[in-house]
Amino acid sequence: MKKVTLTLILGFVSALSFSQTTNDSIIHDSQIQQNSAQRVISAKDGNAVTLGAYGEIVYNQPEGDNGKLDVHRLVLLLGYQFNDKVQFFSEIEVEHVEEIFVEQAFVNYNVANNLNLRAGLMLVPMGIINEYHEPTTFNGVERPGMDRSIIPTTWREIGVGLSGRINSASLSYQAYVFNGFKSTNADGTGLIGGSNGLRGGRQKGIKSTVNKPNFSAKVDYYGILGLRMGLSGYVGRTQADDEIDHLQGADVGLSMVGLDARYVFNRFTARGQFIYASLTDTEAYNDLTGKDLGSALSGWYAEAAYNLLPQDKEQKLDLFARYENYDTHADTDGTLVANDSYNRDELTMGLSYHIAPGVVLKGDYQFLDNAAAGNDVKKQLNFGVGVWF
Amino acid sequence: MKNLKTIISVLFSIIFLMSSGIPENLEKKVDREVKDVFEIDSYKFEKVDVSEEIKSKIPSRIDDENFYRINSKGKVKGYVYVDKAPSKTADFDYLVIFDNNLKIVRTKVLIYREEYGGEIGSHRWLSQFTGKSGEDSLDDIAAISGATISVRSMTNAVKDILKTMKILQIKKVI
Repeated sequence: MKKVTLTLILGFVSALSFSQTTNDSIIHDSQIQQNSAQRVISAKDGNAVTLGAYGEIVYNQPEGDNGKLDVHRLVLLLGYQFNDKVQFFSEIEVEHVEEIFVEQAFVNYNVANNLNLRAGLMLVPMGIINEYHEPTTFNGVERPGMDRSIIPTTWREIGVGLSGRINSASLSYQAYVFNGFKSTNADGTGLIGGSNGLRGGRQKGIKSTVNKPNFSAKVDYYGILGLRMGLSGYVGRTQADDEIDHLQGADVGLSMVGLDARYVFNRFTARGQFIYASLTDTEAYNDLTGKDLGSALSGWYAEAAYNLLPQDKEQKLDLFARYENYDTHADTDGTLVANDSYNRDELTMGLSYHIAPGVVLKGDYQFLDNAAAGNDVKKQLNFGVGVWF
Repeated sequence: MKNLKTIISVLFSIIFLMSSGIPENLEKKVDREVKDVFEIDSYKFEKVDVSEEIKSKIPSRIDDENFYRINSKGKVKGYVYVDKAPSKTADFDYLVIFDNNLKIVRTKVLIYREEYGGEIGSHRWLSQFTGKSGEDSLDDIAAISGATISVRSMTNAVKDILKTMKILQIKKVI
C-alpha cells in the first residue's frame, strides 16, 4: 500500500514538474518533430509565434495618361518569442508581385526593464513613415513624397544597437550603429543623385559593402496626452566598393536630423514632419560620377484628418488633407546649379475608410507641382486597398 | 507511515507553492507597487472568495491567483488585480491597485512583449486611470499615435475590472 501510494505521489510530482517544463523551440525527438509551418499553426502557448502580414494594392490614375494597377507590396511578418526576454522578428516583403526582399530580420534581447539590445537587419529610425509604414497607419494611397526622396523609405540596413522605454518619463529611445548607403560602384557608377537623393544607395543587407560605421538615434516623447513627438539624428559616411574607395569623391558625408509630431484628440488627428540632411564632398562625388547630388536635402509636411463617423463605431472614415514641400537640391556645392524641378510640393486630399480595424480603403487626389519655370501641375487620382493583421 | 506523512506534507506544500500567488516574474514588481502606493513595509495578500456563480457574471477573469485583498497590520488597505491583455501580436501583463474605497490608485504595465504599443507603459498615460471607480466612464482616455491597439486593450481591461469591482461590491464579496 505504502509502495503504491509512493509511486502515485512520485508519478504525480513528476507529471507536475514535466508540465512546468517548457519545450525547446526545436524538438529533437523525431516522434514529435514538427516543421516550422506546423509549429506556427500549433503553437500551444499562443504567443510564441507571431504570424502576420500587411499589404497594399494600388491604382494610380494620372490625368491624361494611362493608369497603373499594382500589388505594391505584400509583406509577411514572422516572429518568434523564445522567452520573455528574447525575440526574433522578421518581415519578408514581396514588392510588385515579383521582387522579394527581407525588410527586417533582427533579434531583440531585453536585458533589463528599460533596455533592449538588438542586432540584425533593422529600420533606421527617422521620421514617422519609415518605422510606421503599414498602410492602415497613414492616410493617402501613396506615402508622402519626402518619405521616398529624402528619407528613403523603407530605409533599413544591418546593424546593432539599443532601444528602450523610460515609462516614468514617457519616452523611448533607440541608438544604433548601422551600415551606410553605398555611393559608388567599383566601375565608378554613382548610385545616389539629385532627384531621389540617397535612395539609390540603400544596400538593404544585400551582400552590402562596409568600411565606415554610421550612427543613428531617435528619441520619442509621449508625456503630453494625445501628443507624440520624435527627434531623430543620423551621421556617417557612405560606402564605396574596395576598388574605388581611395578616390576622392567616392564617398560623401551625411548628417540628417528629423523632427516629427503626431496628435490625436477624439475624432481629430494631425501629424507633421521636418527633415534636413546635409552632405559633404558632393562636388568631388559629382565630378567623379557625373551625378547631380545636392549638398542639402530638406522637406516638411503637415497633415490633418477628421473622422466623419461617431467615435464609438468600430469603423473610421477619415477625411484628410496633407501638404508637403521638399527639395533634394535645397543646396548644391561647386558648379552644380540647383535644379528647380527637385523643389517639389504636393497637396493630397482624400478619404481613408477603415471598414474594420486592420482593413482600409483609400481614395485621394493629388496635385503634384515643382518650382521649375513653366512647369504644369500634375494631377493624379489614387485608390488603394490596405490590410494589416 | 512517518515517511508517508512527510511526503504528503511536502507534496501539499509543493501544490500550495504552485497554486498560490502571482507568477514569480511579476511578484517583485507587484510588491514594489503595493508598498509604494500605500507607503507600507509589510502586508499580507488575502484570497477573496468569489463563487463560481459570480465569476460567471463578471467581465474580468478572476481566479485564486490574480485577485487579492491587501491587509496591513489587520487593516484592509485595498485590492490588487493582475492579468494579461492582448497587444497586437502578444499579451502584456498589467496591474491595477484599488484603495479600500474601490477607487483606482495605481495601474502599471508589468511586462510588455512587443515592438509596437509599449507607450501604454507611460506613467503619465496610465495616471488617467487613477481615481476612477465603478461610476466613472473611461471615454475620455486619450489615444496614443502608434499604439492604438494597446491603448484600446488596456482601456477595455480597466473598464472590465471597474465593472467587476462594482458587481463584487453589490454582491458583498468585497
